[in-house]
Amino acid sequence: MCHMTLSDVAKHAAYARIAIAQGRRERGELYGRMVFFVVILGVFSSLWRAVGETGLAIAADPKALVWYLAATEWILLSAPQIHIEIQETIRRGDVVYRLGQPASFVMAEFAAGMGAVALRMPVLGAMAFACAFGFTRWTPPLATIALFIPFAVAAVAMLVALHLWIGMLAFWMQDVAPVFWLTQKLMFIFGGLMLPLTLYPAFMQRAAALTPFPVMLFTPASLMRGTGAVRPLILARDLVLWGAAMTAAVQWTYRRAMAGLTVNGG
Amino acid sequence: MQPAVELRELCKSFRVRRPRAGGLGRRLSSLFAPRTEAVPAVDRLSFSIAAGERVAFIGPNGAGKSTTLKLLAGILQPDAGEVRVLGFVPSRQRTELAFQIGTVFGQRSQLWYQLPPRDTFDLLGRVYDIERREHARRIETLTSVFALGSLMNTPVRHLSLGERMRCEIAASLLHSPRMLFLDEPTIGLDVSAKAAIRELLLAESEREGRTLLLTSHDTGDMESVCERVIVIHQGRLLWDDSIGALRKSFLTAKRVTFWSEAERLELMLPGVRVVASGTHRTELEIASDVTPLGQVVDAALRQSSIKDMVIEDAPLDEVIRALYAHAERGCVT
Repeated sequence: MCHMTLSDVAKHAAYARIAIAQGRRERGELYGRMVFFVVILGVFSSLWRAVGETGLAIAADPKALVWYLAATEWILLSAPQIHIEIQETIRRGDVVYRLGQPASFVMAEFAAGMGAVALRMPVLGAMAFACAFGFTRWTPPLATIALFIPFAVAAVAMLVALHLWIGMLAFWMQDVAPVFWLTQKLMFIFGGLMLPLTLYPAFMQRAAALTPFPVMLFTPASLMRGTGAVRPLILARDLVLWGAAMTAAVQWTYRRAMAGLTVNGG
Repeated sequence: MQPAVELRELCKSFRVRRPRAGGLGRRLSSLFAPRTEAVPAVDRLSFSIAAGERVAFIGPNGAGKSTTLKLLAGILQPDAGEVRVLGFVPSRQRTELAFQIGTVFGQRSQLWYQLPPRDTFDLLGRVYDIERREHARRIETLTSVFALGSLMNTPVRHLSLGERMRCEIAASLLHSPRMLFLDEPTIGLDVSAKAAIRELLLAESEREGRTLLLTSHDTGDMESVCERVIVIHQGRLLWDDSIGALRKSFLTAKRVTFWSEAERLELMLPGVRVVASGTHRTELEIASDVTPLGQVVDAALRQSSIKDMVIEDAPLDEVIRALYAHAERGCVT
């Protein structure tokens, strides 16, 4: 994974391309996610408006909260569920073809995942921003959006790596859905999917800071609120550190899986 | 000349969990410290295959065929012994070897299900570093040889199993491998699709001088495609010779069907058994090492005039069954 030749880059780009082609044929899921965007942003913008109308004090601008939610949902929904594909490849035994090819299984799966991201992210991003604008009649400054986008891409890449790691657990587990379900719930809570972590009790904020979830959702999405609380360089550093930890976890799991295959058969 | 495949005293065993007998405490302790046992999958297996040979590699379920194929492809590492495939040591040179071999697994797929085969072929072109013009030339050749035509642009999910299998084999040949491993390539196919796949494999191998190692439970595959058969049982070599030699050694039985003037033939000869009979028709199984065929025909002619007669070898399936039965009794070395 460390020393990649031009040939390796071309191989992984080919995996990304074929995933894009596959995504273009499976548009149903993308349309479903787009509809979900309209519904969830519609519901939450109404909720924040209703809260404002009751006179209850909320420690955030309701319009900024809708854009925050659009940002977290954009990141979350742009990441394809590659763990399901990997699980099926392992279950059906098709993985034997992949393991025999002169390409890294881990990198190929990651590249395919990023290919799907390349198709989804622009479409869902346009949808997210259009919905957020439609429901709030307000936009953050363009410079803020421009700063947010590369961080969002990096956060989605981390989510893809997380799904890749979950998928590789299928070398041991019949069904990785419980692991995915658990990480999703942790992501919702510690990632601050619906509400910024700054609105959480202090002990929850401290617990969340020990997990990788805030750098995937809360911190990049907080850029959209324009409070100036997020320092881009710190966020970049955290993404690199958590990204390195995730890469190490994925590689370690893969090596353990291969060792298990040769010891226990399969 | 260096053999295409060389195995010497190859061993591979797997650790299998064995549940602890006893109460709840013992079963709970199995969760944290499971008791495992080494089960040999391949046991001191030795053979070699010359370049260009077409070899059937057979054995009953659990004999170690798939494990051997995975060892040959470098997917698994051997516990002991030596393996060389086309001069490479698979466990250490898996990537280099991958460029030289192709694999076809009948019950698996390398084609992207929602996409036409052409997309997978383009991906494989990149994965195997095939130069663009050469890639186009190979696709053209394989499309013509395997009659892929319009299939190339049809999503895989719309292809029949036979059509998909043709595409799978063509995909495995895209990088012109010097050796092809085939694991049950005709499983689940109908009679005509099987025949088509066998013809293609034979013709392609003869034309390119490609070495084939084919595992199958279908004796038709080995008879149609291969010239030599290696049989393994419980991970050990049971038989390694031509298919003809296998028949001769393990098949002393012949099937003879008589159509006679008499309604029924009653031949009371040692080693002769009536398999089926009807009016004027008698089908016999003859142990020719007990009673020679000539004696049976003479005896039949003494009972009635014979209108017609067919002599057949027993099907290869029965030969293989006899071989496995001998192995179970520990008679084969």
